[in-house]
Amino acid sequence: MIEVKNVSKKYGDFYAVRNVNFNVKDGEIVGFLGRNGAGKTTTMNMITGFIEPSRGEIIVNGVDVDSKPKKVKKMIGYMPEGTPLYSDLTVKEFIAYMADLKCIKHKDKKEAVEKAIMQTGLDKVRNRLTRNLSRGFKQRVSLAGALVGDPEILILDEPTVGLDPKQVKEIRELIKSFRKEHTVILSSHILTEVSQICEKVIIIDKGEIIAVDTPENLEKSVETKQIYIVNVEDAENKFEEVFKDDTQIKEFKKIETNEDNTLVYQIELKENLPDDKDFRKNFAIKCAENNILNLGIKKEEASLEDAFIQLIESRQELSNEEINKIQYEKELEELREERQEKKEQKEAIKEQRKLAKEEKEMKEESEKENKDDSEGGEE
Amino acid sequence: MLAVIKKELKSYLLSPIGYIFIGLFLIMFSILFYNSIFAAGVAYFEYAFYDASTIMTFLIPVLTMRMFSEERKNGTEQLLLTSPRSLVSIVLGKFLAAMIIVLITVLGTLMHFFVLKHFGSPDIRVALCTMFGFFLLCGAYVSFGMFASSITENQIVASVLTIGVFILMWFLPGVSQEFYKFSLMYMFDHFPQGVIALNEVVRFVSFSILFILLTIIVLQRRKSVK
Repeated sequence: MIEVKNVSKKYGDFYAVRNVNFNVKDGEIVGFLGRNGAGKTTTMNMITGFIEPSRGEIIVNGVDVDSKPKKVKKMIGYMPEGTPLYSDLTVKEFIAYMADLKCIKHKDKKEAVEKAIMQTGLDKVRNRLTRNLSRGFKQRVSLAGALVGDPEILILDEPTVGLDPKQVKEIRELIKSFRKEHTVILSSHILTEVSQICEKVIIIDKGEIIAVDTPENLEKSVETKQIYIVNVEDAENKFEEVFKDDTQIKEFKKIETNEDNTLVYQIELKENLPDDKDFRKNFAIKCAENNILNLGIKKEEASLEDAFIQLIESRQELSNEEINKIQYEKELEELREERQEKKEQKEAIKEQRKLAKEEKEMKEESEKENKDDSEGGEE
Repeated sequence: MLAVIKKELKSYLLSPIGYIFIGLFLIMFSILFYNSIFAAGVAYFEYAFYDASTIMTFLIPVLTMRMFSEERKNGTEQLLLTSPRSLVSIVLGKFLAAMIIVLITVLGTLMHFFVLKHFGSPDIRVALCTMFGFFLLCGAYVSFGMFASSITENQIVASVLTIGVFILMWFLPGVSQEFYKFSLMYMFDHFPQGVIALNEVVRFVSFSILFILLTIIVLQRRKSVK
């Protein structure tokens, strides 16, 4: 399990990542979605221990990255952005070097390297220099480097960028096959990729997380307009007249005239209609009544793309100064809380001491009285 | 550390860098040797090492300039620094790999010694003492070159910085006697006389350790400011 708590990374006055919080469960495939420069790579780099966060903590399987980086790094296989490889090594040598760097024992190394080569389909190019490989194979070599030694967690930074559609499909299938065996965090700015591979999506923009949910829920959460595309044959040119005053329709427009003289219309319904089934039914009936041949009606589905764009566009644009002000106030608030806590602790200690002192005094007094009593008795 | 040494040696020997370094040095050393024996008429193997120390001023950056600059530029630095290996083992691994190439080069000069031995009877102890001192000098050079490479991703800047500082060390003692103690070349002066001065050995080793540590600090520091 990966826990990212209140993590920020600051460069001068600029926040690359600000107050990021999220959890990734074991065996989950999580996608980091965001525009270029949103803070995806920075967050990933902080999880891998490549850079240190300015604030906050990252805990991987119960181990703090900051205090025990070596232990955490052993659990993580990282595929950096841009697939950096050692160009003077062959594929096998590169993966073997990665195995060495990951402290894999000598007796297990050969097997681990073989497994990574076979898993990523690099068998045919194993003895070729990495500089002579195609982009797709380079990407695979980089993935094999992350995969060698079967780390529990795989962090893949833009694993399919720059690949042709066939290679993209192959890499996606490969990543999907890691489900349950590895926890995977991958970053991408390609929405279809994330919705196809990932169980959970983290949308990040300008260094802040703006949504964490499943791709399906994110799609559902978007308030999209109810738009239908209808295909009709309207020999009597009555369509516009019939639907002009429909109570359910907000507006419609003709978007295409097909070769067979059928027409394609885009219809937008009024907002807050209870159910879209009514419209389909009414539409079909009205068409039939007015001699319009209804050849098909299709609802335009909301996509993750819509969710992404809507979430990003709905965000308030803040200037650097405003961000710093908010951050400053937050830090101040935390400091105040900390001081208050300390003050309360001090007071509690004071109170305890006072009580103890009183108790002691009472005890001494009672002892004294006892003593006086016993002395009086003797007299 | 062994993994890094192996990989670095492979990189030196699979690319022309290692051969250029060893070959160029031995050719230049042969010319110096020829000059000292035939032109100056002095039958001392060790004398060639005085000038060889200036050759190293220009040759060491060939070995060191790529050490961290190249990794940073190509992004392979991320592979190294996200691995469970410690910074100490990575830096020492790179340093020792370069020193192995230097050792091969220094041992290559033994052939000149045996040429001389064929015609006369040079002192092997003085020769070994000189080679030892020269090796220490190269270690100090390599450590500074590695440090220069760790502070920039541009290999040319790293090599110019290295050569610049070595040249300063070379000429500064001419400006003032005070600078003698900071000049690596002058620290080497006693070794060709067959004297291993402990304070000079300590100064060479300290210089090397200082710049190895500074390299580690630079890399560590970059984690928080990167």
